[in-house]
Amino acid sequence: MNILLTGASKGLGLKTTQFLLKKGLTIYAISRSKTENLNELLLQYPDNLKWLHYDLADGVNVRQSIFKDWIGFDTPIHGFVNNAALAYDDLITNLNLVSLEKMYHVNVFTPLTLTKFVLRQMLLHNIKGSIIHISSISVHTGYKGLSMYASTKGALEAFSKNTAREWGEKGIRSNCLVAGFMETEMSSTLSDNQKNRIYQRTSMKQPVDVDSVAETIGFLLSDEAKSITGQNIHVDNGTI
Amino acid sequence: MKATILEVFNTIIENRGNKKLESISPEMHLKYDIGFDSLDLAELTVRIEADYDIDIFEDGIVNTVGEILKKLEKK
Repeated sequence: MNILLTGASKGLGLKTTQFLLKKGLTIYAISRSKTENLNELLLQYPDNLKWLHYDLADGVNVRQSIFKDWIGFDTPIHGFVNNAALAYDDLITNLNLVSLEKMYHVNVFTPLTLTKFVLRQMLLHNIKGSIIHISSISVHTGYKGLSMYASTKGALEAFSKNTAREWGEKGIRSNCLVAGFMETEMSSTLSDNQKNRIYQRTSMKQPVDVDSVAETIGFLLSDEAKSITGQNIHVDNGTI
Repeated sequence: MKATILEVFNTIIENRGNKKLESISPEMHLKYDIGFDSLDLAELTVRIEADYDIDIFEDGIVNTVGEILKKLEKK
């Protein structure tokens, strides 16, 4: 199985890449940087891990650079994990349009364009594929300063549900994994006090385990999840 | 070229479990004569793009077999 995954260089993307490689899947991984950890994985899995340097701020060259020149139209894609994201956090009263637009390009516009070509590739090869967008608990529970970020993830949740409806009859599934706060670089700008307050709002009073999120992604990609589509699967330590 | 397009049509028709076409002609309407729905047309676009590297729907809707042939001849 060939899986396209964005944001593979660190955090959840790196963990998921590692987990899926262990399961024997082939990963087409995209990221802006090649971290040491990613490099180690590339050396460990020279055949099953393919890496492309690409910045999702660029939505124009998706077809040419990613699908035509790199993956190739002859390669079937069985799954897409839309994981890369920018977190621009601030109060709404400080909204900076340039930062907001950049975040929308990375978190929404380019992932939607990637989905376009993933779907095309699935159609071409008659693949009953699985698409997973990584969403955030901030869509469902408000956090001060995260309104703009949450709005990009909310857009993905709406897009995913409609993707499921549009392509379900071809056997293509689309789900969102709604992750709670994890101890990754994404939340590194938060102070310990802020983090603790966030964790106190969960049933389990602790950060979400990254491995648990990666495992759930693996499940949603697999055939075992073949009847699950159009859903938001919360892996958030019970943020209720 | 017409023969290749017929083959592409029949791949989609077979995927649907329907009876293959024996021939196509330029005036045939993709929706009303051949019976393609919007998802079939999406599949058609993708299959033609794979063969000819051209997105037939890129600049608007295509209705007939003739319109497809014209786009491919232009290339």
